Amino acid sequence: MNSVATSGNGGRAQSAPAGAARLSVTGLKKAFAGVPALKGVELVIQPGEIHGLLGANGCGKSTLIKILAGFYQADEGEIVVNGENHPVPLGPRGLRDSGVAFVHQDLGLVPGSTVLEHMALDAYGAGAALKSVAWREERARVQELLARFEVHIDPDVMVEVLSPVQRAMVAVVRAVGAQERVSGTRGSLLILDEPTVFLPREEVELLFSLLRRLKSQGDSVLLVSHDLDEVLAVTDRVTVFRDGDLVGSRNTPECTRQDIVEMILGAKDEHVPHPPVRAKDDQTVLLSAEGLTGQRITDLSLELRAGEVVGITGLAGSGFEELPELLYGAHARKAGVIVVDGRQIHKPTPLEMMANRVVLIPSDRKADGAAQELTVVENTALPFFTKYTKGWWIDWADLRKKAVAISEQFNVVPRNTTLPFSSLSGGNQQKALLGKWFDTKPRVMLLNEPTQGVDIGARREIFKLLRAAVADGMTVLCATSDYEQLVELADRVIVLENGRASNELHGADITKDSLAGAVYSQGTQ
Amino acid sequence: MSTTATKTETKAPAVITKRRQPERFALIGVWVVLIVVFVALAPNTFPTPANVSNMLGSQAVLLILALGVIIPLRAGDYDLSIASVLTLSACTTAALNVRFGLPIWVAALAGILSGVIVGVINGFIVTKFNINPFIVTLGMGTVAVGISYPISNSRTITGVDSALNDVMLTKPFMNIPLDFWYGVILCAIVAYMFSKTAFGQRLLFIGQNSEVARLNGVTVPKHRWIALILSGTIAAVAGVVYVGTTSSADPTSGGAFMLPAFAAAFLGSTTLTVGRFNPWGTAIAVYFLVTGITGLQLLGAESYVQDLFYGGALVIAVVLSQVVQSRNAKKLAAR
Repeated sequence: MNSVATSGNGGRAQSAPAGAARLSVTGLKKAFAGVPALKGVELVIQPGEIHGLLGANGCGKSTLIKILAGFYQADEGEIVVNGENHPVPLGPRGLRDSGVAFVHQDLGLVPGSTVLEHMALDAYGAGAALKSVAWREERARVQELLARFEVHIDPDVMVEVLSPVQRAMVAVVRAVGAQERVSGTRGSLLILDEPTVFLPREEVELLFSLLRRLKSQGDSVLLVSHDLDEVLAVTDRVTVFRDGDLVGSRNTPECTRQDIVEMILGAKDEHVPHPPVRAKDDQTVLLSAEGLTGQRITDLSLELRAGEVVGITGLAGSGFEELPELLYGAHARKAGVIVVDGRQIHKPTPLEMMANRVVLIPSDRKADGAAQELTVVENTALPFFTKYTKGWWIDWADLRKKAVAISEQFNVVPRNTTLPFSSLSGGNQQKALLGKWFDTKPRVMLLNEPTQGVDIGARREIFKLLRAAVADGMTVLCATSDYEQLVELADRVIVLENGRASNELHGADITKDSLAGAVYSQGTQ
Repeated sequence: MSTTATKTETKAPAVITKRRQPERFALIGVWVVLIVVFVALAPNTFPTPANVSNMLGSQAVLLILALGVIIPLRAGDYDLSIASVLTLSACTTAALNVRFGLPIWVAALAGILSGVIVGVINGFIVTKFNINPFIVTLGMGTVAVGISYPISNSRTITGVDSALNDVMLTKPFMNIPLDFWYGVILCAIVAYMFSKTAFGQRLLFIGQNSEVARLNGVTVPKHRWIALILSGTIAAVAGVVYVGTTSSADPTSGGAFMLPAFAAAFLGSTTLTVGRFNPWGTAIAVYFLVTGITGLQLLGAESYVQDLFYGGALVIAVVLSQVVQSRNAKKLAAR
């Protein structure tokens, strides 16, 4: 067996029979509260293969990764690593001690520690609190590891001075190194979950060449990504999931982009009657931005006119998800001019935007939408405490009346407004928040993924409410990666790529196909 | 329309509402039991007018201090400088009156001003440099005690103008010292501020989820700053009351109040409105604690029972509130 007796699983990989797949998953099922997320998926990864896993939001690919990492427990199915069967449910460490290494999107690095410290942590961190660290040997080992993968980084530099792609590469080498140490053998499976979302495009190739070096040394890589170009560029084989089912696995060189898009989206989308285009060019511009620059968004200009619904979409990391908060002044902008109703807002803050009747419904309802432990009345009253202060007192009777009125008008169930906000379901929380803001008579409503975690029924109601408000002259900006929603709701859709507007679709041209085409066609024109 | 509309609440499924939380009154229940036990065990010493008046009057400094501390706590911020501000204010008041011969009212005003200044500095550092108030107020508190030494010349100042003593202790109202009534009045003011003003409601949201507050147009730094100024000011008022009741001050006056003030604040948050810092709950906690300590001492317990009681109460209060919260969360999740 190996010399590092970190776990009972050590050395398993050594006994792999010749010809066995690195990872083989068959018939894997998982349901959350009765709702199936995986309906018996399959995934086979060979040694020395870079494999892409693709699918739209909610297709089940994240659920699969989380099962393999031990965050979720599978209901049934077979998982075999290097010929060794791992009965489900897996333990809380998943396949971590069995030849599989994980690098998640956030990379798991601490800015104020050195590369060496990160890598030594894996060797000494768990279970050996009093063991002294042999720094000289550790440094030599880490240097050897970095050199083997041609990553030219000094082990003693702080992570904070590394560029984003260097950090990603450190995370990859670290994961593989830790895996080799645990299993005592080379030839791991590295699972990368959306590793390129936060990387500058021009540097992604550096990460890919590292992946190719891993492959040449016998490691396998599973690359989970939204980005078709990347997957086409670097993978040997792709697997596509849709709605918790396997669509198929293909050799990458044998398929075109169009093949993959069709696999991801399934049958051509059925015709959805689209509402007539309401916005005309001669209508007043309510909100406009020029040269707007934030974290991802770069030099973006747009105009929102009275009575239109503008959709914003793109790949994860393209910047579309940042726009509502940027326009609302919730995230600091680096540059750009925001004009509301002809008046430039010099310091956009939520308070200032609210005063201009621009409101935001953030995507993370739990963290940013409402104080979950406080009651429905209190949450719906939050923007109005000053308005409802009569003389020396807050008029609670009036605020309660208002909460009840919102609850009835927007069909928030249960009606009891003295319950904590957390006792409402996602859809009902969203309706209550919409009701709260509608009451301020907003002129512009900025929405970020407004129907995430919202059931179908509530989703319909929310769309109906939005349409009615728009018919009355309100303007909606809706940032979402949900194409169906854009088809149903938007008058025009701006597609972002790399922080910039790359395409714009209007009225009847907005279909699931055209959106997917515009989003996935990036970088080809 | 309003009354009929409110009645539609009956449609809601049976889940916990505020009214259905029996634990709201648990502390009061335990307090009553404690009183009954001591009345039974020490019938000649415990239920006497003198003892009751003493228990109520002797805790005013602690009550006022605890009322100060719950204001930043409502916004999620710990002010660990309160006890030191009490010391600084007491020493300033006594020294200006005794050593420099200023009129007692001017001296008291200067004492309160010292607390305002500490609060302003605390809030400035916390909000402008975005530093955890825990560490900022700990440091500023130590500075405040440090300043108290040269002010008091490092010794106990006695002989403070008895006019201050008169309005605190020696001229009682309804047989209870006046300082008790000051505490009750402050309690009412803080209660009004918490539930009836926009400021109080915004503090609550900041404490629960400051991002939500910010996205709804609340100027979070300004509110946190004001809360720290208020706690400094109220702690300084407690210092003046302290000088009034003891007619003296020294640089170690405040230390003993630190832990009891937080114990009362956290124990108070387990009662009346469970899970929220509230002034009436804090007052109940203060008098619950003094009832227990006084009763045990009358029964012959050593004075160290005070430390056991305050320290134990703080830990138990924090555990209790956590247990109640997670239990309620489970009830909701099981729905």
